[in-house]
Amino acid sequence: MDGSTGSPLLSLQGLGKRFGTLQALEGIDLEVAAGSVLCLLGENGAGKSTLCNLIFGVYEPSAGTMTFDGAPWSPRSPAEALDRGIAMVHQHFSLVPRMTVVENLMLGQVSGMLKRHEFGARIRDIAESFGFTLDPDAVVGELSVGERQRAEIVKCLMRDPKLLVLDEPTAVLPPGEIGALLDICRRVADSGRAVIMVTHKLAEIARVADRVAVLRTGRKVADESMKGADMGALVHAMVGRELRPLDVALAEADDGAPPAAPAAEPRGFALVCDGLTVHDRHGAVRLDNFTLEIRPGEIVGLAGVEGNGQSELGMVLAGLQRPTEGRFYIGNAELTHAGAAAVTAAGGGIVPEDRHAVACVTALSVAENMYLNKLPQFTRWGLLQRRALNAAAAVQMKTFDVRAANPEVAFSGLSGGNQQKAVLARELTLDPLVALVAAQPTRGLDVSAVEAVYRQIRAAARRGVGVLLISSELDELIAVADRIAVLYRGRLVGERPAQPAERPAIGALMSGQGA
Amino acid sequence: MSDLALRLPDRRRLVGLAVPFVAVVGSMLVGLLLIAASGKSVPDAIEAFLDGAFGTSFAIGASINRAVALALVGLGFILAFRANLTNVGGEGQIAVGGIAATALGLWSPVADLPLGLAVLVPLLGGTLAGAFWGGIAGVMKVRFGTNEVISTLLLGFIALLMVYWCVQSTALLRQPQTSSATLPESLPVPGPVKLPGLTGDPESPLHIGLVICLVLALATAVVLQRSTFGLRLRAIGLNELAARRAGMPGGILLVVALALAGAFGGLAGAIMLQGEQYYLKTGFSSGYGFDGLVVGLLSRGSTLGVLAGALFFGFLRSGGISMEIMAGVPAALTLVIQGLIVIAVAGSVILVERLQGGR
Repeated sequence: MDGSTGSPLLSLQGLGKRFGTLQALEGIDLEVAAGSVLCLLGENGAGKSTLCNLIFGVYEPSAGTMTFDGAPWSPRSPAEALDRGIAMVHQHFSLVPRMTVVENLMLGQVSGMLKRHEFGARIRDIAESFGFTLDPDAVVGELSVGERQRAEIVKCLMRDPKLLVLDEPTAVLPPGEIGALLDICRRVADSGRAVIMVTHKLAEIARVADRVAVLRTGRKVADESMKGADMGALVHAMVGRELRPLDVALAEADDGAPPAAPAAEPRGFALVCDGLTVHDRHGAVRLDNFTLEIRPGEIVGLAGVEGNGQSELGMVLAGLQRPTEGRFYIGNAELTHAGAAAVTAAGGGIVPEDRHAVACVTALSVAENMYLNKLPQFTRWGLLQRRALNAAAAVQMKTFDVRAANPEVAFSGLSGGNQQKAVLARELTLDPLVALVAAQPTRGLDVSAVEAVYRQIRAAARRGVGVLLISSELDELIAVADRIAVLYRGRLVGERPAQPAERPAIGALMSGQGA
Repeated sequence: MSDLALRLPDRRRLVGLAVPFVAVVGSMLVGLLLIAASGKSVPDAIEAFLDGAFGTSFAIGASINRAVALALVGLGFILAFRANLTNVGGEGQIAVGGIAATALGLWSPVADLPLGLAVLVPLLGGTLAGAFWGGIAGVMKVRFGTNEVISTLLLGFIALLMVYWCVQSTALLRQPQTSSATLPESLPVPGPVKLPGLTGDPESPLHIGLVICLVLALATAVVLQRSTFGLRLRAIGLNELAARRAGMPGGILLVVALALAGAFGGLAGAIMLQGEQYYLKTGFSSGYGFDGLVVGLLSRGSTLGVLAGALFFGFLRSGGISMEIMAGVPAALTLVIQGLIVIAVAGSVILVERLQGGR
């Protein structure tokens, strides 16, 4: 557990990376010792993933040098990195869902005859030696996100790496699985390997890191041993301003204004779900008689452990899936079978849970994505007025703090937080906007992006928009929502005021007790 | 038209042009070796090829007319391909376009229409028939999830058999049977229905189909690069769920994309019929649909690429036919050579990408 034995396993000297006009990283000096966990902390777009990709040989640095395991290190490809003993788990998994764990892990690692059982036994052994279990014969598509991630980690560990790089491993995990992952990281380090973990959740750093390095806008702004590190100072370094505990930040985002006194007389409801029921294709009930009414200006939080019907509800309200039974209305319009375009036209803003699959077309430009649902505004004689589109997007990018070189760059080049802000901008600028359904809108976002997202949502509510906020982060719901409804196994099992004191009661509802 | 090739820096552009050129010349040399190996005279074959492709104003006109049909199918292909739809039904779309144009052209009121309408109405009829044929595949895709590769291909076979049926049955389009020797063909369409020539030269078969094709190529380029519709096709091709979420009428766009591809094929069929063949017979579409598909594929979505590829294949076809007739080179061998060239061009595209794509 001591992170200071002799010379470091990996050291970076003055490392820099430039993409076109964007200086993604500059002058990074960093050392990682064998047997230790280094946490890389930073906001979205600070350069954490770029740094990992340089170490793993995905990109070549534009400046500086690296030394790995006592020799100069200038990888030209990830394959070379793997051969030298560096393995990386990416944010997006590279597993084939239809194949079993053992089949997936055999891909690229074996040739000739397939020895499934032998290989499966090795998988089991490796998992056990790091204190977890993994069923080699399970089909990947049926595993939880956490289990898939463990499969990815085993895939890396099979190559017996000296250095394991994890790019935001906790961003995709439900809260219950994070602890287990951190334990695995610790055990990997204790086995004498070095671990680099990218994150922006502070609590995780405290639990697992030996050292922590903070990146901000491509530069290293802090690098210290975890012993005696001051959390407040770290966050300050990360965001470049004073730390405010999340709920304080969120309260301040409210500008002190009281939640809009519901307009003179409530003009009906912004969003009404009436007995929505969804069966999946196997006939299992995913959403069961879900009824909820949201008034204009009201923020209703929907709490629940993931996989309890939130995704189905989100797809139905987005107009992308027909419910088996029930109806829903936005304003006065019934939209149950109307489809996505009608939801948009009726003033339903949707921030989908799965950003890449549903919210955006990553190969198109930022401007095109920000106006994907409003293209007719920029169409004359059928031709797209690209200059006007880009100009409008540039203004919106400023308003919503979407950071990109210009509106014409590919959406895929944006960091997660900026992508989310762009999606939010698109949905919040619908005219009219009656209701907003935001599903896990802050997942994988850093503190300041989270703050920006909630500030926008609150501002919308003050303008009289009814908001349904679906989140698995209870603290956020308590800080932002007016009341919290709880979903358990597809059923609405209760509703509580959004107050810290209600936390135990809500927690009990989420776990299926007291329903 | 912001074509990729026009934006690349000079040296890259040079590589981009040189590699396919070398590939084509190389595969042609291999072709000549094959001809020599088959015991035919190589100089005779070359002479016959050049003569058939460029030798006379007739040869040039005929080659360009062939290119027009190929280009139209190719343009339709890249339109649908923008929405990630692969239309392999060009052959059938040409066939239904030809049937419709023949039927309208032989209907006496049409031939009497003034102001060039006698030409336009069958052209439009062929276009609509092709659009309908492509649209069926679109509806099947949207309603039942049928893969368009399969549906367009199979609809193509149905269309080819419909041509057969039409020219076999006097109740349909077969010419009146006066003797047992009457061929299973339609009557030729009357003069006013035929496409006017483009040049004054009575020797040249070149017709106004070329103008129609160039106008449509320009329109296609504008639609793909500049129009909102083009962006929507792209969005739905890249991520259908996100495009639908953003309020795009997903199903309608897919149907329209395939109907458009079909329309181009149908128009190609009508132009082939009214421009050169004048009467419908079995095998009337003679592989233009599939060659047009190759043109579309090789163009990699570029309108200029379609035009260039179509010209190349148009001249190649004329030369090949002439080699077969004049130099006795077997038809199968010219097809082999064509295949070699396709592989060489496709391979060189990948090679150029590797040469230029490296960071």
